[in-house]
Amino acid sequence: MLTLSGIEKVFPNGTAALRGVDLTLSPGRVHGLLGANGAGKSTLIKILAGATAPSAGTIMLGDRPCRFASPRDAKAAGVATIFQHIPLVPTLSAFENIVMDERGWRRGGDRRRIAALVATLGDPFPLDAPVGELPIGARQMVAIAQALASGAHVVVMDEPTASLAGHERIAVYDTVRRLAAEGRAVLFVSHFIDEIVALTDDVTVLRDGRVVLEARTADLTESLIAEAIAGRAVAALERPAQPRRRGRPLLTARDLTSPGRLAPTNLTLHEGEILGLAGMLGSGRSELLHAIFGADRAAGGEVVLDGRPVGRWPDETVAAGIALVPEDRDTQGYAPQLGIAANIALPQTGRLLIDHAAEAHAAAAAIVRLGIKAADSDALPAELSGGNAQKVVIAKWLRPATRVLLLDEPTAGIDIGARTDILRLIRDLADEGMAVILASSEFSELIAVADRILVLRDGHVVATADPAGCDVADLIVMAGGGRPSLENAA
Amino acid sequence: MTDRGRIFGLRTAGVYYALLLLLGILAAIAASRGLPAYLSGQNLGNIAYQASLVGIMGVAMTVMLITGAFDLSVASVAALAAAVLVGLAGRIGFAPAIVAALCTAATVGLVNGAIVQFVGINAFIVTLGTLTAVRGLVLILTDGRSLMVEDPLVLQQMLAFESTRVPLFWPLLAIALLLLGRGVATRGTLAIMAGGIGAALAFLGGRGLSVAAPVVYLALFTAAVGFVLRFTVIGRRLYAVGGNAEAARLSGINVHAYRLGAFVLSSVAAGFAGVLFGCRLGAINPTALQGAELTVIAAAILGGTSLFGGAGSVVKTVVGALLLFTLTNGFNILNLGANYQGLIEGIVVVAAAAIYTVGGQRRRAPLRVDTAPAEATA
Repeated sequence: MLTLSGIEKVFPNGTAALRGVDLTLSPGRVHGLLGANGAGKSTLIKILAGATAPSAGTIMLGDRPCRFASPRDAKAAGVATIFQHIPLVPTLSAFENIVMDERGWRRGGDRRRIAALVATLGDPFPLDAPVGELPIGARQMVAIAQALASGAHVVVMDEPTASLAGHERIAVYDTVRRLAAEGRAVLFVSHFIDEIVALTDDVTVLRDGRVVLEARTADLTESLIAEAIAGRAVAALERPAQPRRRGRPLLTARDLTSPGRLAPTNLTLHEGEILGLAGMLGSGRSELLHAIFGADRAAGGEVVLDGRPVGRWPDETVAAGIALVPEDRDTQGYAPQLGIAANIALPQTGRLLIDHAAEAHAAAAAIVRLGIKAADSDALPAELSGGNAQKVVIAKWLRPATRVLLLDEPTAGIDIGARTDILRLIRDLADEGMAVILASSEFSELIAVADRILVLRDGHVVATADPAGCDVADLIVMAGGGRPSLENAA
Repeated sequence: MTDRGRIFGLRTAGVYYALLLLLGILAAIAASRGLPAYLSGQNLGNIAYQASLVGIMGVAMTVMLITGAFDLSVASVAALAAAVLVGLAGRIGFAPAIVAALCTAATVGLVNGAIVQFVGINAFIVTLGTLTAVRGLVLILTDGRSLMVEDPLVLQQMLAFESTRVPLFWPLLAIALLLLGRGVATRGTLAIMAGGIGAALAFLGGRGLSVAAPVVYLALFTAAVGFVLRFTVIGRRLYAVGGNAEAARLSGINVHAYRLGAFVLSSVAAGFAGVLFGCRLGAINPTALQGAELTVIAAAILGGTSLFGGAGSVVKTVVGALLLFTLTNGFNILNLGANYQGLIEGIVVVAAAAIYTVGGQRRRAPLRVDTAPAEATA
């Protein structure tokens, strides 16, 4: 029904996201698409949705070639895309959201048709309720109904289950099966291998912008898929041969929990230890770090550092010596109007007057130590590249008072050079006695630097792994596959 | 952009140019019409005197805007403080009445801040409410009539607090020379220019140059707040809270405390402006200072303060206030048709905001080379 051949995408800055991807979607079949971060999944989805144009290659719909110049084109051609972050207007009713893209004067819309459509979805929701009041699973259904209202033959779903609870997922699976049974072609994108195995008929795995595996699902196993996703990736850093020694226990967390996002979790962290947190998006790794740092007001539990309980506000945890490098450096990491030196000095306490000379000196030292590429210590972090801005955020915490460093995806979206710098720095800091927790979805990095890895899924720690004795494929299976509850659901 | 461009560009120094340009135009008009010299020490002192109350409130408003919040209630709080002062001064004495007035103002600020921070209502809405409610409180306290201080002794104290002329020639010259010296020593172009302008003003006014006390209060308050913002950790944290509250919070900064502090500062400054206003007349009319909050915000915007937080300078806000009152003063003295005044003032404010916005856009859009777009976070 829909055939992509030789799709390439090169961004203006020279990054090649897709290097010749072929993909065929057939009516009545569910096609799974998998790939690690940066493999090109999102770019491919954007091309299908008409949000971005391919640099080369053709899209055939049926037997005629087509070009999607805008999302409206794609929709008109019968290709509907449901994005992971559901773009709905929370203040409008479900019905108004579904008929949002209709043209014409009347606000009414064809209510009977929409009601019939929603009834086929299986998980009914009130059409007149404001979307903001619906549970997240029902919102996903609204998004699906919105996609189908225009009469789509091809449905693209980008991680539709990433933020859903168990029973809501099952409703989505049912809907996906029904869509296929009605003769539509479905492209189902997911991080979760077990979902893909249980739900899809065909599987395509992307890595580095290329198709590395294309087969019928029935012929595959979870571990085969995991190996295809991981590949023999060029590790940013090799794991040292002998195990690093670790010191005495430094930080203990008891019953850390955040309602709906993190089940009660206990952990102990030692001096000089690097603890890896492996998990997919939404698995609870950020939530665990925020709970330790006291940045999540809803979180409960207790953190003890060196025998003393730590307060539950960020200013208290910082004073106690815990530091957090947050996931999104642009919105959480730095103050955009302040220069590098001022941003680095931000956590400083205990003095009133700013010592400009000392701060410029400290910033210059950090620029040298971390290899930050910046004009001077007054440059704004927002004007730096992603890797250099991230180094500024990390440099903020490189002070004697910091004893525990929490890093949330510190290498996301930055180039291999900066990535290696940061990983090497983490290892050096641990060698100096700092305790580090590193959350990452780049599992090869965890295997390279961590001493111990906790695997999270759906807010639970599901496994503890020894990085010396496992590889990336093992972690992918633990974090995204083999969950018994899904067999029951399927 | 070069350093020179940063310091002297339209976006950074525009408000200074605007004030100088306006003064020049008004002086030229005055000269061509054969009126007494416009740029006399006395007239400039008058402008500063007229701008002092708005300036004091504007300085605190700037701190408020820097933290990313907003205070519409300042004029009502000033009127309330004036009413408390005038109502109590005859009974408990002048100094205790000032304390009572400032405490009343601080309480309003605390209430504003607590509602905004802990209930989570938008600051615009909360202070719009207190603007009306506090004005209502003034009406209740005054019973809708003008209050007056009867006791001649207290009245004299109040007048002394507000209307004393402060000789300015020697202090101004000393400060100007200090700035000049520092500027030469550190090669700071800005300090040299500021010193030069100060010295020029001193000689323009002559040996007998003096200003009313509120101008000195404004100068001291501006200097103190400017110092805190520029040279202390507190100042930097205020900018950080407004620039990126989440980053500030995750850096261990108590965001609530800084926001609450800004509300209290804003209200106390408004209370002090109200005290000066009450002293000026020895009386208070329940509709006094109505609408002044908009002038205060206009002054901050003219000074380039961002309504989105994270940027702003108190000195420029004061210059913005001076600019607005120079316009008013010029229209009155030169008899340029008071009907046009509002129109011109409005255009000036919008034009200033346009310059800042357009100038701001050009500095953005940095090149990012090593960040792979979008799919990196897939």
